[in-house]
Amino acid sequence: MVNQDVLKQHIGTIKKTNPALRILGKIVLYTVLIIGAIISLFPFFWMVSQSLMTLGETLQIRWLPSVPQWQNYAEAWSRAKFGEYFLNSTMVTIGTIVGILITSILAAYAFARIKFPGSNLIFTLFLATMMVPESVTLIPNLFMIRGNIIPWGNWNDTFWVLTVPFMANAFSIFLLKQFFQQVPNELWDAARIDGAGHMRFLTQIVLPISSAPIVTVILFAFTGAWNAFSWPLIVTSRKWRTLMVGLYNFVSEAGTETHLLMAGAVISLIPVLVLYVFTQKQFTQGIATTGLKG
Amino acid sequence: MEDNTSENTKEPVVPNSPIENHPQYEVELESPFLEEPPTIKKAGLSFQKVVDLITAYSFITPAVIIIFLFGLFPIGYAFYMSLINWNVKKGDFIGLKNYLEIFGSWENFFWVLGGVAVLFLAFFVQNKLEKAANKYSKYSWLAFLPIVVVSGILFSKGWSAMMVTGDKPFLQSLVNTLYYAMGTVPTQIIIGLVIAYLLYQDIKFKEGFRLLYFLPYITPAVTTSVVFRIIFNRTPYSIANRFIGLFGLEPLKWRFESTPILKLLGLNVEGFWAGPSLALIVIMIFGIWTFVGYNVVIYLSGLGNIPKEVYEAAEIDGATKWQLFRNITIPYLSPITFYLTMISLIGTFKAFNHIYVLKVPSAGASVVTASVYIFERFYQFTQFGRATAMSMVLFLIILGLTFIQNKLMAERVFYG
Repeated sequence: MVNQDVLKQHIGTIKKTNPALRILGKIVLYTVLIIGAIISLFPFFWMVSQSLMTLGETLQIRWLPSVPQWQNYAEAWSRAKFGEYFLNSTMVTIGTIVGILITSILAAYAFARIKFPGSNLIFTLFLATMMVPESVTLIPNLFMIRGNIIPWGNWNDTFWVLTVPFMANAFSIFLLKQFFQQVPNELWDAARIDGAGHMRFLTQIVLPISSAPIVTVILFAFTGAWNAFSWPLIVTSRKWRTLMVGLYNFVSEAGTETHLLMAGAVISLIPVLVLYVFTQKQFTQGIATTGLKG
Repeated sequence: MEDNTSENTKEPVVPNSPIENHPQYEVELESPFLEEPPTIKKAGLSFQKVVDLITAYSFITPAVIIIFLFGLFPIGYAFYMSLINWNVKKGDFIGLKNYLEIFGSWENFFWVLGGVAVLFLAFFVQNKLEKAANKYSKYSWLAFLPIVVVSGILFSKGWSAMMVTGDKPFLQSLVNTLYYAMGTVPTQIIIGLVIAYLLYQDIKFKEGFRLLYFLPYITPAVTTSVVFRIIFNRTPYSIANRFIGLFGLEPLKWRFESTPILKLLGLNVEGFWAGPSLALIVIMIFGIWTFVGYNVVIYLSGLGNIPKEVYEAAEIDGATKWQLFRNITIPYLSPITFYLTMISLIGTFKAFNHIYVLKVPSAGASVVTASVYIFERFYQFTQFGRATAMSMVLFLIILGLTFIQNKLMAERVFYG
């Protein structure tokens, strides 16, 4: 104890020896951090600023609109159909999240808490799918959903084609399994004495204490589904076009209408932004602890 | 680990009555009935076991069906497709011909493979020797310089032959991917490390800064790419041109510029050494902008794990801030740096969304990376057989990188 105090004092004196240098260091530190923050933020500022300009203003050298043109958003929403795409993306995202939660909670519980033959093999195969680039799976999956491999009809441009293939992934199962394994066995023993089976133990004891990893799974499922691009691009045409595909197509359809394009971009960003601001702790912690999702 | 073993020992015990759970000598006393307890045990156990098995298999079924149908089966099917002359309509079985057309000849392929194998072997042997000698020499790599040269010769011999006789656009897309990797991975890791280190200091608004740096990573790549399209436009009043105008530079064509960067700077270089096009560099800037935040978050968690005492001890010895950073922070973070390097490198081979959105026809083939080229080959030219063969080549490269990552992670010398 005494020793530590002496040490801390000692460190304190070393640090205090050069106040001018320390202040200079602080200035440099904050300058670098602020420049970094400006670079991170600038594209977002530019997006919002341009979305509120008139068509003429976007073609001039201006930083801000003279009068914010809020009706750009209404125009992008209805005329450029971003409203329709927004609803599609929302439904697809919710459907995917629900699917992922059901499949991964059940599977993670089985892998974490029940010993069964083939468990290691199946889990390893699951993990192996995380390495496979989308380039490999894209073409066969296109045949799959067109009913060429399994005769279940053509799913092209439906709700199912955008959700079902993504309703289970190794990452979510892995994340939940890690957590479910830490639930003490005593709880299971107690539950079993009370006559509870696996399903009741899972829903009434395990799930209520697993909110943290479940939120992480929801966050990743949300960004994954909302940001998805290459798959929706090839399997949707009109009816189920998602926001990202709509935005990409609008790049060529809009021509010079940058203000509408930017309004669409802001619309596509808002749900992610809202979610991020409210759950950023879980977001960053989820990434730091899993390190996955490169 | 511990969880599993305790589960194992307990599981058979629970279904039986408490008496049987208890000490073994009780069984010894009842030696005439020795056969009975095990049979009861077995019956109880098997009933619970059957319930467990049914539960387990029914719980994993939904996930198994989806992951098998859309994650595992496609790998096998892609390989099957790559063996067929498949353009829109399924054609004849042609064996490895699609692959042969990519490489030009098998001879080329084996030269390239040999080059890679020699390099890996050299590294492996060096690692083993160092371990055997039980010391780390700064100059031991010198001994392996000739081997590296040999591997380089083998590789470039095979590669240049491939470029002549093989599928040149695909091979060029691999070169573009390499440019993209070399331009983004080290830069984003260094910037990420520096920012994480600065954020780890005693500063105000730490959370706020982290939130801002992380923003580009979580926002949809398509959205931010669309904004980058406008920022790096070729018009004289685009943000990028206005910015370089501050330094008195002439406007550039940015993402429309297909000329290699060194040529653009007035140097007379051709081929690989002329570097990536300015258009590809714009895509690299986007990549760095996006992924720095991810690296910051991972590094921050690593910084939190460095014991404070190490810093304190070094400070007492009068170490400067730079010495602390160089001799404590960097070595302690080296496993994370290695992890991030490999993850990002593998990521560059998968990268698609932002490249696809940022590319324009006038930038030509100079911005087409491997995954984008495969997509075009399939989506626009509907050459399914060839495209799947290329995707299998890409998959093999990623598998190789993952293998190296795992091997080196296991062998890694911590204070490298």
